[in-house]
Amino acid sequence: MSEQIASAWRLLPEYLSAHIVLSAAALGAGLLIALPLAVLAARRPAFAWPLLSFASLVQTIPGLALLALFYPLLLALSALSGRWFGVTFPALGFLPALLALTLYALLPILRNGVTGLTGVDKAAVEAAKGVGMTPMQSLWRVEAPLAAPVVMAGVRTAAVWTIGAATLATPIGQTSLGNYIFSGLQTENWVFVLFGCAASAVLAFIVDQALGLVETGTALRDARRIVAGVAALLVGTGLAVTGLARPNAASYVVGAKNFSEQYILAELFAERLQAEGANVRQKQGLGSAIAWRALVSDEIDVYVDYSGTLWANVMGRTDVPPRDVMLAELTQWMKEKRGVTVLGSLGFENAYAMLMRRARAKELNIRSLEDLSGKAGNLALGADIEFLDRPEWAALQKAYGLAFRDKRSFNPTFMYRALSSGEVDVISGFSSDGRIIADDLLALEDPRHAIPSYDAVILLAPKRADDALLQRALKPLVGAISVDLMRAANLSVDRDNDKSTPLAAARALESQIRK
Amino acid sequence: MPNLVRRSCGAADGSADMIDIDNLVLSYPSSTKPALDHVSLSIPEGQLVALVGASGSGKTTLLKTINRLNDPQSGTISLDGEDVSAIPGPLLRRRIGYAFQGIGLFPHMSVAENIGITPQLLGWSKPDIAARVRELLALVDLPADFAARTPAMLSGGQQQRVGVARALAARPKIMLMDEPFGALDPLTRDALGQSYRALHERLGLTTIMVTHDVQEAVLLADRIVVMEAGRIVADGTPRELMSEKAEPRVMELMSVPMRQAERVQAILSGAAHV
Ligand SMILES: Nc1ncnc2c1ncn2[C@@H]1O[C@H](COP(=O)(O)OP(=O)(O)O)[C@@H](O)[C@H]1O
Ligand SMILES: [Mg+2]
Repeated sequence: MSEQIASAWRLLPEYLSAHIVLSAAALGAGLLIALPLAVLAARRPAFAWPLLSFASLVQTIPGLALLALFYPLLLALSALSGRWFGVTFPALGFLPALLALTLYALLPILRNGVTGLTGVDKAAVEAAKGVGMTPMQSLWRVEAPLAAPVVMAGVRTAAVWTIGAATLATPIGQTSLGNYIFSGLQTENWVFVLFGCAASAVLAFIVDQALGLVETGTALRDARRIVAGVAALLVGTGLAVTGLARPNAASYVVGAKNFSEQYILAELFAERLQAEGANVRQKQGLGSAIAWRALVSDEIDVYVDYSGTLWANVMGRTDVPPRDVMLAELTQWMKEKRGVTVLGSLGFENAYAMLMRRARAKELNIRSLEDLSGKAGNLALGADIEFLDRPEWAALQKAYGLAFRDKRSFNPTFMYRALSSGEVDVISGFSSDGRIIADDLLALEDPRHAIPSYDAVILLAPKRADDALLQRALKPLVGAISVDLMRAANLSVDRDNDKSTPLAAARALESQIRK
Repeated sequence: MPNLVRRSCGAADGSADMIDIDNLVLSYPSSTKPALDHVSLSIPEGQLVALVGASGSGKTTLLKTINRLNDPQSGTISLDGEDVSAIPGPLLRRRIGYAFQGIGLFPHMSVAENIGITPQLLGWSKPDIAARVRELLALVDLPADFAARTPAMLSGGQQQRVGVARALAARPKIMLMDEPFGALDPLTRDALGQSYRALHERLGLTTIMVTHDVQEAVLLADRIVVMEAGRIVADGTPRELMSEKAEPRVMELMSVPMRQAERVQAILSGAAHV
């Protein structure tokens, strides 16, 4: 417990600075866009409806989806601009997060801006004209000051929303306080989840108070309050910017998808790279497809993926060759077609495996997927969120015709819970999962070889193909991690009691490898 | 009744009309009846004209058209020989004092800032503006320390006086005043009316003052213009409008103060007999 709190505190400066810089940039951009639009909409009511409708529409898109949508969009734009102008830009990390959050900040500013400006006393506006003000003078000297309290209330709302939604930037590779929440959820490290929520809430509260000071300042025309509020915000943002701007020499970016094994392996890689003197950053909690594309576009330098996943999803292959053949073909294809180096297999598989409680399987007399196919009609399947859309599931259905009574999707952690509680009978688990030992589960055999093998392989980005430091640090890991070692490491992070952090698990794993 | 409705003649004989309005027509988009229906009016320099008429007869609309807060569908307005449509609106309005019917003080500015706004727009220096504000506060009979107050800290009548001061601030030659003394008690109203009249004379202003109060019009104005449904229905000196030759409707309107005075007299003398 206290180890987790201590490690949470250690990460705070990095996460908090990134979170503040992202939120401040998004709020600033939101203001720069929304305020002129609000003036336009207030002056020309014809524009108000489409603008406000658009902003409301954006608001109805779930924050996570909005952030995720910017990734493929930017990827396509970057490819286009690369072709036309020779300029590419990152599709992952800060930029998509900034754009999505900026869109998110528009609505409250726009809506309060229009309400505030159209609500200004008509007599005052007419008087402004009557005393000889130009439209611009009227806006700055009369309408803006009179609308300011209402506009500021909108800015406060936007700030709180933005700070909250910025936690969702983690899965698209932007560090934020969401890193605590996402990694905590995956590893059931509730201390991390709470820590991330609390930090984001405290930040939102402080910013809201500072903006509240500005708001009452504009309402009471008290310059001291406005200056105090603005100064507090600027100092906070300034500190965050300087906190981020640490010198980072030749720095490597290690990617990780969003489950415990990936966190542990990323920490293991990072430790090894640091031991070689490299400066390392991690982009954790990436979606499966996002991690791959990030590697191809050199936005991350290294991560671990699984041969079967790449075989089906990236190469688009539906045949299932033996393990060695697949690995060899994959390695060659990656190099030739994508410039990606497959450094080697770590030595274990994390294959999709249909798991049942051992007792339940015995009771139903099920040992393999063939046994299961006859009885699936009475059973419920629990799947992780991706599985039912994956080609592996299609292949399984084709080979065994599995027609379950019920199919439900879960976050991986809750999927195991559902299996233990009997809510579902079969789950799409992973063969390296520590919970197989802990929960006494049975991985059903696949006699028809419908599921390809899933060797954990180290992938290097195109630009790191010949990087000596990466080779030195990571080559020794090839073939060094048995499935038992990985299961034990995963279990130490996933279990409920005496949990390790991914970093501690990585260190324990390292000492096991050395033996 | 040829002498009652004097038509515009300024342009023809080249005399020095300060305000020359010719055949104005204006309809608001939302209504079918025109708010100004072929209005023509010439006002020589130095005249104080009272514009009277029922509510909705178009008095405010006419004032706003003169300083181009409204744009007419047709007709022309010249001020001091210059066609107003050729002057950019903001510049034109800085040259004309306008006291609003709804007062229209800026609630976020102090009294001093309100009064000094047009001079500021014209680029006067700070000391000049401050001096002018002090002068005007004295003129409209407000204590100098009101300068720092905001409009919310003033009574309706005090606000109205600030409104008049603001209209006068940039030393305009033309003053358009829309019921400027409406919110004042009778005593202050009478005093301020008279002091404005004196000012008007001293500065050689040309003023159009809208008022509901015929008595006020008779007491202050050189000339009274009566509007009805967007048209000018009578125009003359108070004496002319109250003469036998006036239209019955106009005479009835003009004789209201008289009749009231007689009733007051009757009540007072009746009471004395009790
Ligand atoms: N902004 C406006 N839009 C539409 N109609 C208006 C507007 N202002 C005034 N009117 C109409 O124009 C007519 C003249 O109004 P106004 O000039 O304000 O009259 P007065 O000042 O004599 O009371 C009235 O019928 C009034 O309803
Ligand atoms: Mg009026």
